[in-house]
Amino acid sequence: MLVGLVASAALALTACGGGTSGATGESAGPGAKAAQGGTLQVLANAAFSHLDPARGFDGGVNNFYRLIYRTLTTQGAAPGADGTKIVPDLATDTGKPSDGGKTWTFTLKDGLFFETGAPITSADVKWGVSRAWDPEIGIGSPYAKQLIEAPASYQGPYKSGDLATIATPDAKTIVFHLKKPYADFGSVVAQNTFTPVPKGQGAGNALDSKPIASGPYKVSEYKPGASLKVVRNDKWDKKTDDVRQANPDAFQWTFGLDPATIDERMIAGQGTDADAIAGTIQAATVARVQTAQLKQRTMSGLGGCTTYMGLNSTKKPLDNVKVRQAINLAVNKQTVRDAVGGSTLAEIATSIQPPTIAGRVDYDPYPSPDHKGDVDGARKLLTEAGFASGFTMTLDTRAQPKMQAMAVAIQQALEPLKITVKINTIDTATYYEVIGTTSQQHDAAITGWCPDWPSGATFLPPLFDGRNITAKGNSNLSQLNDPGVNAKIDEIAKLTDVKAANAAYGELDKQIMALAPVVPLLYEKVLMLVGSNIGGAYLHDGFSGGIDLVSVGLKDSGK
Amino acid sequence: MTASPTLVEVEEAVPSSAPPTSGRRILTTVTRDKGALACLVFLAIVVLMAVAAPLITKLSGWGPYQFDSAAINSDLGGVPHGSLGGISGSHWFGVEPQNGRDLFARIVYGARVSITISLSATLLTGILGVVLGMLAGFYRGWIDQVISRLMDFLMAFPALIFMIAILSSLPSGNRPVLLVVVISAFGWPYLARVIRGQTMTLANREFVEAARASGAKDSQVVFREILPNLRGSIVVMTTLAIPGYIGTEAGLSFLGVGVSPPTASWGQMISSSVSWYSVDPMFFAIPGLFLFLTVLSLTVLGDKIRTLIDQGEAA
Amino acid sequence: MMRYVLGRLGGVVLILLAVCLFTYLIFFKLSPDPAVMICGKTCTPERIDSIRDVLGLNQPLLTQFWDFLSGIFVGRDYGSVHCSAPCLGYSFQTNESVWSMITARLPVSITVAVGAAVLWLLVGVIGGLVSAVKQGTWWDRSAMGLALGGVSVPNYVLALLLQYVLVVKLQLLPFPSAVPFADNPLLWFESYLMPWVVLAVGYACLYARLTRSNVIDTLAENYYRTARAKGLNGALIMRRHALRPALTPITTIFGMDFAGLLGGALITETVFGLNGIGKMAADSIAKNDQPVIMAVTLLAAFFVVIGNVVVDLLYTALDPRVRVVSS
Repeated sequence: MLVGLVASAALALTACGGGTSGATGESAGPGAKAAQGGTLQVLANAAFSHLDPARGFDGGVNNFYRLIYRTLTTQGAAPGADGTKIVPDLATDTGKPSDGGKTWTFTLKDGLFFETGAPITSADVKWGVSRAWDPEIGIGSPYAKQLIEAPASYQGPYKSGDLATIATPDAKTIVFHLKKPYADFGSVVAQNTFTPVPKGQGAGNALDSKPIASGPYKVSEYKPGASLKVVRNDKWDKKTDDVRQANPDAFQWTFGLDPATIDERMIAGQGTDADAIAGTIQAATVARVQTAQLKQRTMSGLGGCTTYMGLNSTKKPLDNVKVRQAINLAVNKQTVRDAVGGSTLAEIATSIQPPTIAGRVDYDPYPSPDHKGDVDGARKLLTEAGFASGFTMTLDTRAQPKMQAMAVAIQQALEPLKITVKINTIDTATYYEVIGTTSQQHDAAITGWCPDWPSGATFLPPLFDGRNITAKGNSNLSQLNDPGVNAKIDEIAKLTDVKAANAAYGELDKQIMALAPVVPLLYEKVLMLVGSNIGGAYLHDGFSGGIDLVSVGLKDSGK
Repeated sequence: MTASPTLVEVEEAVPSSAPPTSGRRILTTVTRDKGALACLVFLAIVVLMAVAAPLITKLSGWGPYQFDSAAINSDLGGVPHGSLGGISGSHWFGVEPQNGRDLFARIVYGARVSITISLSATLLTGILGVVLGMLAGFYRGWIDQVISRLMDFLMAFPALIFMIAILSSLPSGNRPVLLVVVISAFGWPYLARVIRGQTMTLANREFVEAARASGAKDSQVVFREILPNLRGSIVVMTTLAIPGYIGTEAGLSFLGVGVSPPTASWGQMISSSVSWYSVDPMFFAIPGLFLFLTVLSLTVLGDKIRTLIDQGEAA
Repeated sequence: MMRYVLGRLGGVVLILLAVCLFTYLIFFKLSPDPAVMICGKTCTPERIDSIRDVLGLNQPLLTQFWDFLSGIFVGRDYGSVHCSAPCLGYSFQTNESVWSMITARLPVSITVAVGAAVLWLLVGVIGGLVSAVKQGTWWDRSAMGLALGGVSVPNYVLALLLQYVLVVKLQLLPFPSAVPFADNPLLWFESYLMPWVVLAVGYACLYARLTRSNVIDTLAENYYRTARAKGLNGALIMRRHALRPALTPITTIFGMDFAGLLGGALITETVFGLNGIGKMAADSIAKNDQPVIMAVTLLAAFFVVIGNVVVDLLYTALDPRVRVVSS
């Protein structure tokens, strides 16, 4: 999903992250054991996109949803790779395949209740899933619709009624019939769309203002754009849940805060700000958190996303592979990294897949000293391609300071090659829509990609499968349609061994980069400053580096 | 919001009909006043910077778009090396955090943007305001009705909100031209209203009626009899409008809808300095000071000129 | 008088309609397809089309405009979402009716505007009066010099400067946030103090200069000299004969300035992160949230136009000369 950069302006809480967490495990730092109770504060810039689980689908809400919603399975709650392992949640296991992986059966645990006190039945899960087909509601995770069999005319339970391809033989059992075998369906049912919704409810935007909780917390007060408070849901039974610690008694979000103000407040850590967590800090704040005292309160890790520049291979002269390779060689990734805040906030990217993806190979197909760009090598390639005198290209950029700064850095780096880069600024709201419309897309665009779960399967095929190029909502920005790449994608999809598939994706990465359809720029990092009273915090690999909300708590809950 | 206070003041305080005060008299009085002279000198420097920008940056050694990665600390978020925002022999005003662009060069080129845009906007507003104001005041009747309603309409408009909204949804295109057009579109009624009122008064004066009686054409009456008598007001209103427009351009760039990157503008610089002010206050102080001093100088001079013209009228 | 008022109100409605239509037309042309934005990241062309149907975007432009207008009075439905009257539109980006977004934020903008207005009226008018009385003295010259400086400083520069000095360096004030008065009166005052000052400075300086020149002009008028010659008490003359005529024009300008601010102090609210109408406008412009931009434009125009009428009526009440003419 396009999460990382869609989010970068919008979601203060996420950005990207994972990997190593500096302070984890230290007795004094944010990794120290959390007590039960208290109110944990969250200072945020942008509000949640949606509270309705069928609608919301980004790193910020995915993490938050685990507090109020449960799904059939979910990701683990631990630092590192354990966090991205799929474990049972509402279901007793991660699903039983039959019919060669085309039919999947899940059984619900005992003792599951909504916040209303009503029991959670398989019919409620089915109702929740089938909402994904509603054209107005199902705008979140697309996987249910892509994989589960359904009549072409089906429009969700409110408009079209029952969906026969999801069977509920009894109140505890739910059976999904897929379009074709899918080995990793156990990961798919961890998506937000598999949240139960009481049968018959949740029409229109009802859940966006008043969610019906199945998790350990329920929404007690919500002022859209301003604040959100969740308190304990006493109908949730800890015995049914191996994942959520649910430490604090309540979480209080404050939205709409200026990022610089958040940083100032987190540094000062006065009053309830000691119980606060926030998103990744601003580049300008990095120099200020270098004291030993503040360093102890910071957590940093690699994101699960790649920021890259897509080169539109249907436009001249970018249709020439040598030109694309020359650009790959020439871009000064140091200045691009400085544009987002330097080495503390990003690592330089050389391959398409970020380091958090299993099977990813570390290699650099277009090396240059210190990643500062190899202008001579690039000039040689351009001369071979017949563009020694340069050309003009348009770079689409989101109207957001960080993205514009990256664009300007690229513009500067290509100047010595007489490549004139025109920066085309597109407003933040429509940026991804415009560059995803092939007729409106220009020569190049800066964007990013995060996997929906950390495997090559949700990274390379969506970006480089030539048969996925669509007129609208296109994510294959380079419009690469290479028979070799397509064939390889099909070949990997047939592998039943997930490990072998991941290794194969690592090799596919190299095969694609030889064609240079994109310039991998950065793997952005998170650097979070948390309040001095925060405990149990670690950066969760599955939530683009957000602090795992179901595990965090207060060291001293004031009890 | 940046421009309106000055405009309100102008329209209240403008003389009803000012006989021409000679330019030379204004100049000699201004040069005798120490404060006004200082303003004049400062403005001369700014204009010189704007005109000779490429030459000046050649002397200083750094272009406005040139990165200097060596001047910033990549490990500390891109903060400039050295104290005072990296002020040194090679970077006279220090550098921009995160990319090391030379602040002196960007101030110099920023002056270009400020001055070009504000002067063009003043010119366009002046032409629109005088022509439409005179048309309305001279012909009265339905022409006046149409123009006056248009003015009411534009003045009721929340100009700043609308300017930002329009600018943010227009394609990048030629930003400076767009800025001038949008600023002028909402600026001209303030001048036109005053011109209209004065034209109405003048049109009833004996000398205009005399000219008419002697068979002068409308155009002759307008250009020979009325326009010269409006000169004072036009001079005062436009001088006082320039600082307003400089502020508006900077404000729009500050809000992110002004000139597009990598173009330098003072407002854009202040905007990017917002997150840095506690670590690197110079990055904020330098463009902030230039903007303030330029607006102040223009306001002081405009005020001086108005007083002189008022006195000329009283004399 | 009644006819005059009615006529003015008719004009108000016409201007508001014009603003409405103009905004609608411009954004209809300029805005990207709202359906596409609602549709989200995993969009299909069919879904866009069904959303367009729900929003009525497939209707002719004038029908849509009419739907918008009638929605203000009787409410309207967007598919399964009901937006009750007064419906100024529905933001599919925040999933809220625009009206409730406005009512939630209006108190902040009003607090900012009222506080700033009180401040600038007090400082401006008193400062101007003192300057006028002490015309030509050291006080007068430095006050007027300061006023020129105050008019010239862009409010965002002042805002950042104050925040740097008072909050970051000296730590005298907290970072501004929209604390309700009832929660914590002291914090409320401390939070709003900087926004008030920043907004008030420009106006205060302007009003000081205006008051001064108006009072000086009045002091030179014949009737004032007559009153003085008759031996009337100084303070009384000042109040009855100098202040009233000198302050009438201030009332006019004040009405307009204040009305303008009610539509949101965009820059001040944005810089200080106060969740008022101005910040909402800036945010929705950044997100290209068309219904909100429309509504804010309309609201601000509404305040200005109403302010205009109130000022005219007040003016009639304050200045006898106008009263005669208008009746």
